[in-house]
Amino acid sequence: MIKLGQYLPGDTIVHRLDPRVKIASVVALSLLILGATTPESALVSIFLAAVVLSARLSLAQVAAALRPIVFFMALLFFVHLLFTGGKPLLSLAPLPLMITREGLAQGISVTWQFAGLVLGGAILTMTTLPSDLVAGIERLLRPLAKVGVPSQEIALMVAMALRFMPMILEEYERIRMAQMARGADFRTGSLSQRVRAVAMLAVPLLLAAFRRADELALAMEARGYRRGPRTQLRELKLAGRDLAALAVMAAFALMLFGTRAVS
Amino acid sequence: MIRVENLIYRYEPEAPDVLRGISLTIEEGAHTALIGPNGCGKTTLIRHLNALLLPVAGAVWVDGMKTADTASLREIRRLVGMVFQNPDSQIVGMTVEEDVAFGPGNLGLPSAEIRRRVDDCLKAVGMTGLEKRNTHTLSGGEKRLLSLAGVLAMDPRYIALDEPTAYLDPAAKQRVLDIIRRLPGEGIAIIHIAHDMRDVAGADRVLVMDQGRLLLAGTPAEVFRNAELLTSVGLDVPPGGGFK
Repeated sequence: MIKLGQYLPGDTIVHRLDPRVKIASVVALSLLILGATTPESALVSIFLAAVVLSARLSLAQVAAALRPIVFFMALLFFVHLLFTGGKPLLSLAPLPLMITREGLAQGISVTWQFAGLVLGGAILTMTTLPSDLVAGIERLLRPLAKVGVPSQEIALMVAMALRFMPMILEEYERIRMAQMARGADFRTGSLSQRVRAVAMLAVPLLLAAFRRADELALAMEARGYRRGPRTQLRELKLAGRDLAALAVMAAFALMLFGTRAVS
Repeated sequence: MIRVENLIYRYEPEAPDVLRGISLTIEEGAHTALIGPNGCGKTTLIRHLNALLLPVAGAVWVDGMKTADTASLREIRRLVGMVFQNPDSQIVGMTVEEDVAFGPGNLGLPSAEIRRRVDDCLKAVGMTGLEKRNTHTLSGGEKRLLSLAGVLAMDPRYIALDEPTAYLDPAAKQRVLDIIRRLPGEGIAIIHIAHDMRDVAGADRVLVMDQGRLLLAGTPAEVFRNAELLTSVGLDVPPGGGFK
């Protein structure tokens, strides 16, 4: 299973917030992160830490969400560290490289931005049921229906993709086992042999997925599905806490801009 | 009442007929079992009952509406629910309650009514308390019950089930059968494809198909009296002739 930002059930204020508020906040935070100066980034870090605390996410859970990107974080850091011109701090002779003060600062800043963006997204997906997330996106896109964006269809498609992902993974595993049982070898042999063995998996997997899609389409039709407006089990409604959260978010953004105006 | 009149069907214009002139009626609140060897056209037949397939010749009428008439399509799909053989490709929702809400949502019902139906139908299949469960984590039996709840939420008058007890352990099988046997009493007619002859015992009427035709029709007792004919098409007769 994919662990990256997987939903962790909970009953904190962050979990209970309207998904639209959370999506909007993540977008706002992302913009703040991308535009942050050094003192601002400290404030944003504190803000993110406060959200993590109020969502009762453990340090281990946060680390697990960031683990898949550690490699990219390191890569970003070293690229900026080594390839930024400026005042030299340390020369790496005989290599034609040197570490500069600017490079160090930029490496830290870019790596922090990357981690911050991923963490923001991870907090969103770790505290929001996928179905709520989809409902939130649908509701946010709904005004676009007037200009022809099929928001409900998009939402349904995303929801079904999420619903069928684990099933397709299972199918993949089943086909792999079946081929291994008949002597397929995915672990040894030359690279080209292994690539070919994996390609042999793709065809039956795709065929199975298409067949499943066919059956699913039939089942959806049998349950009265057709394009066009449909109703939902839950209509999202903003509660007091949602407005409060939006206010906090807005106040935080204004505060950052305020400090910028002063300095 | 569902009326099937001289139904003929083939999947491709050049292919042989899968259904070769079937006529039958299904009364309201009846419990009909449909049996027959593999490939005899049982699944093809029930897919005509809610217009998933349309006759090549002949006609199917549901409460006076012809399935070939596209104007009545939505009403026919609501009246005749369909439980497919593989619940995995029938479950659309990520959570149990959302899946049950899919059909009522398609009908455009208000949220409060959808909520009422979701709660009622999950209770009817004994799945109250599992509302928020991820559908992927359900057991085979629970998936089957969920697909039944999803159909019940449409408030149908007829439900066609394609081998609803396949791949289930005995306890899960019994739960599904108990619900199926209860529904006719609540005014919902059941059309039930069965492989295990013991599942047929609760039915009012048994239809036996072979090679695209209706071979026999009658009460379980009447049908199982023709042991030789049933054996000749590859069906076994339950001990005691299917009597309870």
